[in-house]
Amino acid sequence: MHHFVIKALTFALAGGLLSTPLSPTPAAPKVTFTIGIQSDVDSTNPFTGIVVEAYETYALMYDYLTTSSAKDVSPQPSLAESYSEAPDKKSWTYKIRSGVKWSDGQPLTARDAAYTFNRIIDGDFEQTNYGNYVVNIDKAEATDDTTLVLHVKKPTPIMERLAVPILPEHVWKDVDGDAVKSYANEPQNGQPVVGSGPFQLVERRKGQYLRFAANKNYWRGAPKFDELVFRVFTNADAEAQALVRGEIDFAYDLQSNVFNSLKDKPGVTTRSSEYSGFNEIAFNTGAALADGTPIGDGHEALKNKQVRLAISHAIDRRTLVDRVLNGHGSPGDTFIPPVYPLLHYTPPVPQNFDLAKANQLLDAAGYPKKADGTRFALRLYARQESQDSQSTAEFVKSWLKEIGIDVTVKVMSEDTLTEVIGQGDYDMFEWGWVVEPDPDYQMSVFTCGKRSYKDGDAIYADLSDSFYCNPAYDELYEQQAGETDQAKRAELAKRMQQLVYDDAAYAITYYYNDLVAYRSDRWTGFTPQPDPDGSLLFQYGVHSYLTMAPVTATEKPQAASSSGVNGGLIGGIVAGVVVLAGAVFLVTRRRSSVSADDRE
Amino acid sequence: MRGYVLKKVGWSIGTLLFVVVFNFFLFRLLPGDPIGLYTRGRNMSPEQLIRLRQQLNRPMGEQFVEYLSNPFASAINSTRFNRPVWEIIGERVWPTVLLVGTAVLVAALAGVWLGIRSGWRRGSRFDRITTGTTNTLYAMPEFWVGMMLIMWLPFFPSGGINSVGVSGFLATSVDTLWHMVLPVTALAIVYLAEYTSIMRASLVDELRQDYLTLARAKGLREDLVRRRHAVPNALLPTMTLIFLNLGFVIGGAITVEYVFSWPGLGLLTAEALRGPDIPLLQAVFLLFSLGVIVFTLLADLLYAVLDPRVSTR
Repeated sequence: MHHFVIKALTFALAGGLLSTPLSPTPAAPKVTFTIGIQSDVDSTNPFTGIVVEAYETYALMYDYLTTSSAKDVSPQPSLAESYSEAPDKKSWTYKIRSGVKWSDGQPLTARDAAYTFNRIIDGDFEQTNYGNYVVNIDKAEATDDTTLVLHVKKPTPIMERLAVPILPEHVWKDVDGDAVKSYANEPQNGQPVVGSGPFQLVERRKGQYLRFAANKNYWRGAPKFDELVFRVFTNADAEAQALVRGEIDFAYDLQSNVFNSLKDKPGVTTRSSEYSGFNEIAFNTGAALADGTPIGDGHEALKNKQVRLAISHAIDRRTLVDRVLNGHGSPGDTFIPPVYPLLHYTPPVPQNFDLAKANQLLDAAGYPKKADGTRFALRLYARQESQDSQSTAEFVKSWLKEIGIDVTVKVMSEDTLTEVIGQGDYDMFEWGWVVEPDPDYQMSVFTCGKRSYKDGDAIYADLSDSFYCNPAYDELYEQQAGETDQAKRAELAKRMQQLVYDDAAYAITYYYNDLVAYRSDRWTGFTPQPDPDGSLLFQYGVHSYLTMAPVTATEKPQAASSSGVNGGLIGGIVAGVVVLAGAVFLVTRRRSSVSADDRE
Repeated sequence: MRGYVLKKVGWSIGTLLFVVVFNFFLFRLLPGDPIGLYTRGRNMSPEQLIRLRQQLNRPMGEQFVEYLSNPFASAINSTRFNRPVWEIIGERVWPTVLLVGTAVLVAALAGVWLGIRSGWRRGSRFDRITTGTTNTLYAMPEFWVGMMLIMWLPFFPSGGINSVGVSGFLATSVDTLWHMVLPVTALAIVYLAEYTSIMRASLVDELRQDYLTLARAKGLREDLVRRRHAVPNALLPTMTLIFLNLGFVIGGAITVEYVFSWPGLGLLTAEALRGPDIPLLQAVFLLFSLGVIVFTLLADLLYAVLDPRVSTR
């Protein structure tokens, strides 16, 4: 037994020692940019993945017909160098860039694009992630190698925002509708995943990291570094440590306490960027099914718009930003965040914090204060998963007390809350949305048709979580859904925001920022989206990956950290020596005592 | 002896059956809409939603029969990863066995050694220091110990199993050993106290036994009295503990895996709970129960071999 252990150890140790001189030393070390992420990519198959980190990998590996500009997130040509709607509004024509190649050398043509769209249109599982983009598309057709025509059922503005990665037909035609469900789309036999984007996936270790190699022939210009690594951290504090030590270059999606702990670290820059998310206190404006049948047990008072407005006036949004977000955000008003300057509506008469006005509104609405100073009681649900949600709820409770509304705060899991909302069994809750560059999805949330629905005896939640239903709003929604002129559509979107704001379906509390930290002593040249206060990475598009570059040697301070590989090897050897020495010591001691036994 | 073995195996199979059935109904009693969970954040059309829902609305009996036909080959995909659950678990088993298995072995060897030394010389300075230290370590939460190790020992990697870009079997193995140092240490120093105190207590029980006096009367040295007579008898409770802990090895160490971003089953469980990913949780629960049942059975059987006092009739 002991001998076996010794043998194994010696072997491992010798192997470790030998492998050092044997491993070839590369002439020019690769320049690698490492990003720490807190949620592993669930799948690199674009038909399967769902987390934002997965979508980032698709954007790196593939091209899209259009992208969103870095300046103001407006649609702009990408793989399609130009596009236009047919005069009869029955089709859209995309001029595909010529000379683009897949990473295996095959040319990328309009046929690949047509294949991708038809696959989704005709597919079953393929619809899971992209179904909503193709709802209005009859079929896709490549009239020649550079022309893609998408035939539409009715005019729709989504055609400038088709966030569908164009896949290589010669690879995916071998993955049928069944196989695609579990297709990993990972490197095989050392061959990278075939793509056309600025980076190719060359290695994946689940739960640990993804490694991409730069596509030096990328049509928008080669990235200015060689490799990109996404490294998974399940622990935010460990991620922060790794950034300080230089194991990683960029820490994404930080909580504000970790963010603050990184502020004064040498070589590290923290950045709080404008983001496309908002949080709100949502009201039960009168829960009902899509057909109008009332459901749930929401409080009668909240059906009155004046009461909801009063509550909105009783929320001190500035304090929430300062105290809940530690200043990393801005007070909220309408449901398309200002990060989309072309679409965001700034109300001329904001619902300011004004308790006197709130009291007046409630008096006028017919809810006078009783002898004990209260008017009525409401429930407010906060989310277990979010400390911010619970803090906000406590603040709101204290302000509503001032205007005579007695609030009971209850904390529940997001899953439970989803269920409760769907059934209409609530008065108010705290939650939020992240708004995509195309506002259609977010706008649909407030339509009558997105209220809960019945299937058999069970009631299921749809998107609506305020049960807002306003025919004027629905009409605008239908109108914008067919409006292909971006400027006119933006006008409609603003009017819709105004309606929801004035009717106070939500009291939007704040727009929160995206908190990141990175090694500014090593990296420079990021492109924020939108300019100048937006996100540096995890954008709509791959702008930063193409402009960022290592800080050049002359301006670079002496790098302190050694490469992880060598550190690992040396460390392993040291550990091996220690273990071996210990084992030798134990065994020799044992030998001496054995001989003592024998003498006895 | 054969009867004893059959009885123990029978009990284990019974327990397993209960777990299998319980596992099915437990997850169907959970509130929530699994399709809603699956489709959250996906750009899915309403028709597709309805079709998915129909699959789940089949009668409970029908679903149960299908489940029973082979609970381990469940074709159900994880909602989070969209792949068969057992395939995902298969990838995560080895990191956990490596991490927790090594930690249990290290802790058991060191703990038994410390326990013997301090028990044999009960009340000595060595005993007081060992008992005090291990109890203090035992009282510390694993995740906190892990965080402290990361901060104090910056020479070691802050997480993961492998460095990016290491290739070749030997280099990878050494690299993995290097990554294991901190998490194994964190787990082992917390486990240590269990083995030390059990070993110490059972050795102290043996100290005044007549057979030890007899051994001394035969003229054996103290060393031999301890090693040949006292320790083998005192080892039994510790063996039980080791086997029970080995059963939990498969369950992983959720907190330590979380701190060190170690992609094992513990971390998988934590990820599955966010969501929640019900098919995956169901499979993971089944596997954990199975681990405990199998190792408890092994401990029972081994006991009969090691300790003649256990009745095998």
